[in-house]
Amino acid sequence: MLELIDITKVYKGGKRAVDGLSLELGPGLLGLLGPNGAGKSSLMRIVATVTRPTAGRLRYRGADPLAQPDLLRRELGYLPQDFGVYPNLTSREFLGYLAAAKGLSARSARARIEELLALVNLTEAVKRPLGAYSGGMLRRVGIAQALLADPQVLVVDEPTAGLDPEERVRFRNLLSELAATRVVLLSTHIVPDVESVAADLALVAGGRLLRRGTPEQLTGELAGRVWELLVDPAAVTAVQGRYPVSRMVRTADGVRLRVLADRAPSGDAVPVAPDLEDAYLAIVRPAAGPLGGPLGGPLGGPFTGPGAEGAPWQPAVRR
Amino acid sequence: MAAGGAAVTAGALARLAAGDFRDRVRRPAYAVTLLAAVGLGCLAVPPADGHWVILAVGRYRGEYNSAYVGLATALAGALWLTVGGFYVVRKGIGRDEETRVGQVLAATPLRSSGYLLAKFLSNLLVLGSMLGVLALTAVAMQLVRGEDRAVDPVALSTPFLVTALPLLAATAAAAVLFETLPLLRGGAGNVVWFFVALAVTIGGQSPGAAFGGLGVAQAAGSLRAALGVTGDVGDGEFSLGLTRVDTPLVPFRWAGAGLDGGFLLQRLLLVLLATAVAVLPAFWFGRFDPARGGPPAGANAEPSGAAALPAPVPATVALPRTAPAFGATFGRLLAGEVRILLGGVSRWWWLVTGGLTLAGLTVPLDDVTGVVLPALWVWPVLLWSRLGSQAAEHDLDVLLAAYPARRRRLLAEWASGVVLTAVTGAAPCIRLAVAGDGPGLAAWTAGALFVPSLALALGVLSRTHRVFQALYLPLCYLVVNQVAALDFMGAVRTAGHPAGPGPLLVAAAALALLAAAFLAAAARREVRR
Repeated sequence: MLELIDITKVYKGGKRAVDGLSLELGPGLLGLLGPNGAGKSSLMRIVATVTRPTAGRLRYRGADPLAQPDLLRRELGYLPQDFGVYPNLTSREFLGYLAAAKGLSARSARARIEELLALVNLTEAVKRPLGAYSGGMLRRVGIAQALLADPQVLVVDEPTAGLDPEERVRFRNLLSELAATRVVLLSTHIVPDVESVAADLALVAGGRLLRRGTPEQLTGELAGRVWELLVDPAAVTAVQGRYPVSRMVRTADGVRLRVLADRAPSGDAVPVAPDLEDAYLAIVRPAAGPLGGPLGGPLGGPFTGPGAEGAPWQPAVRR
Repeated sequence: MAAGGAAVTAGALARLAAGDFRDRVRRPAYAVTLLAAVGLGCLAVPPADGHWVILAVGRYRGEYNSAYVGLATALAGALWLTVGGFYVVRKGIGRDEETRVGQVLAATPLRSSGYLLAKFLSNLLVLGSMLGVLALTAVAMQLVRGEDRAVDPVALSTPFLVTALPLLAATAAAAVLFETLPLLRGGAGNVVWFFVALAVTIGGQSPGAAFGGLGVAQAAGSLRAALGVTGDVGDGEFSLGLTRVDTPLVPFRWAGAGLDGGFLLQRLLLVLLATAVAVLPAFWFGRFDPARGGPPAGANAEPSGAAALPAPVPATVALPRTAPAFGATFGRLLAGEVRILLGGVSRWWWLVTGGLTLAGLTVPLDDVTGVVLPALWVWPVLLWSRLGSQAAEHDLDVLLAAYPARRRRLLAEWASGVVLTAVTGAAPCIRLAVAGDGPGLAAWTAGALFVPSLALALGVLSRTHRVFQALYLPLCYLVVNQVAALDFMGAVRTAGHPAGPGPLLVAAAALALLAAAFLAAAARREVRR
């Protein structure tokens, strides 16, 4: 349905935000996961036809949105990471204006705006100017505008920023519902935001696609390589220097660490089931560069982690 | 930035001011202002056979040596940077509010007075850098004109330092003061400053002006004395401001005014007063506390508790049932643009518009075209200035870029400006129609197209509302002062007929501006890509 082919974006000054990235998207939710600066927002803007790539092609229903963007724009819902509003308009007026920009007929726009305001729980606030809205309320206005024309392609960039936990749950449920028949591209650097909704994940760093697969595929490859151990507080730095540490909890007995290693880092280390954060750390960290020390080390022997030759994850699509 | 926090050291103050200055000079608008300074410098030293002048003593001018070129350029800079420099440097505090840097600074021990002083110094650095460029331009112009190629740095720079810089300090302080006063921090402040600066630049040329005024009286005395030595005082009326002369001015030798202790003292007092004015708002400055002075300016700011809604309860979501249908939208786009344009307008604004409209329907026709129409078409300046810039200023660019029909939206935005112009100018239009004044009606129509086109083009090009405000007010001022060549609305009349450019020419200019807006919007989109 939507295809990104060898997309590259180089900004003025030579910053390569997206580097030869290819993705095929069909109905369903694809979670785009990566650290800050991975190129996610640039990629989202390219899909949303806001930014033109330096190289590469975009195809939607057989057409070229780079040459004729309006076809995709009519069927697109886009929620940018940061966006403003006209502060003197009410949410109903603002959505009415955007519905007209989208090309919705007056009757259809009226009905959908009321339904969407109810969906995002803003019905009681429709008479207030947007300038008096909180960050979370504005986020909900953003969600409503993205859904105005019942988009077939929904691009949401860090959508849960500013939402409280209950709003996050509601929004994730909404995305799951929408993904049944539509293309939903969700970008975030918060792992819990995608692990509960995305059956398909793409991990990116440095503008490149590192892995794509289901959460089970991504975590399955770490089986037997995630450990928990209790260490003396004084030893924490040394352990961090030798292994990627995905969690650290200070207890009365010491510091409980969750580390990634090929072999048990110590005699009392206990193997635990890997989760998506472990997989994210294992895949993205080598690509993003060293953060606290090398992967692997003498405690557990050489780490042949996910970046190594022969790693069994689904390889990145490169053309 | 606690009111009772640590005293700011000179070093910290300098770093704060320099940081703010760096941020400003890295904006594209700064390069434009420097180019404008170069243009002003060229204008101040016209060719020997030129028919325009900025500085003249009757039909004489000084020979283009360092002293005279420095004086002419510095006085031109003092005159124009006092008026226009304010628009260049204002918004220093507002930007800190928008970017939330202000809240970060407010959580440091920096005192409000130190912060305001840093803003003042940063303003002065920006204006001073423009003055520096003017001085360099003056050197270049002295060499280019070639009447006296011996560059005397002291003679050339003295008028900049003694005459112009203290005035710019006053402008820099006024920008800080205006930003701390709720009524003057917005567009109303831009309008108020225009008239304040006008009064200062006119009054500042009188011999008894406080703090030496523009420095004109002192310079004029010295120039006249030098002219007297040549034996021909002639009609030595001193003139400062862009003026056309029928015959090129006659040069005479002037070696400079020398330093007058009394004048120096007055200038020093002016700088001290400006510093005090900049720091004075520390008594009421809100230090970016959203709980003080009403709701926060930023659209994304957290609201007061009353505005917040309870969080939605997690539940199964019910997607909209109404299927989207597509149809004609231009009317609703236009209505939306009108709402955006008129958003937040106070009842007072409408009351004044109503009063002027009533005047337009009742006073004699000559007064309608000469006074009421210009008043009605100056009054909405703050609203027109939103055209073309509002989406950028409210960070809506990225969101709207993903929407279709960009050109149709821009057209609707322009049309909303035309609607505003027509509605505010309705009374004069009716009077002209009733009187059967065809030429007047044609001029009115051309004006109604020209104003929103100018606003839209400048808004799209500059992405700020300030450029239109800064250009449109002087334009209207010149129209009201009977400068027929610039009369775009039919206000200047000769024998009862509009004396300005023909309505077709004005309409063509309007269309050219509209086309420029469309081209600039398309080009900007390409550049952003």
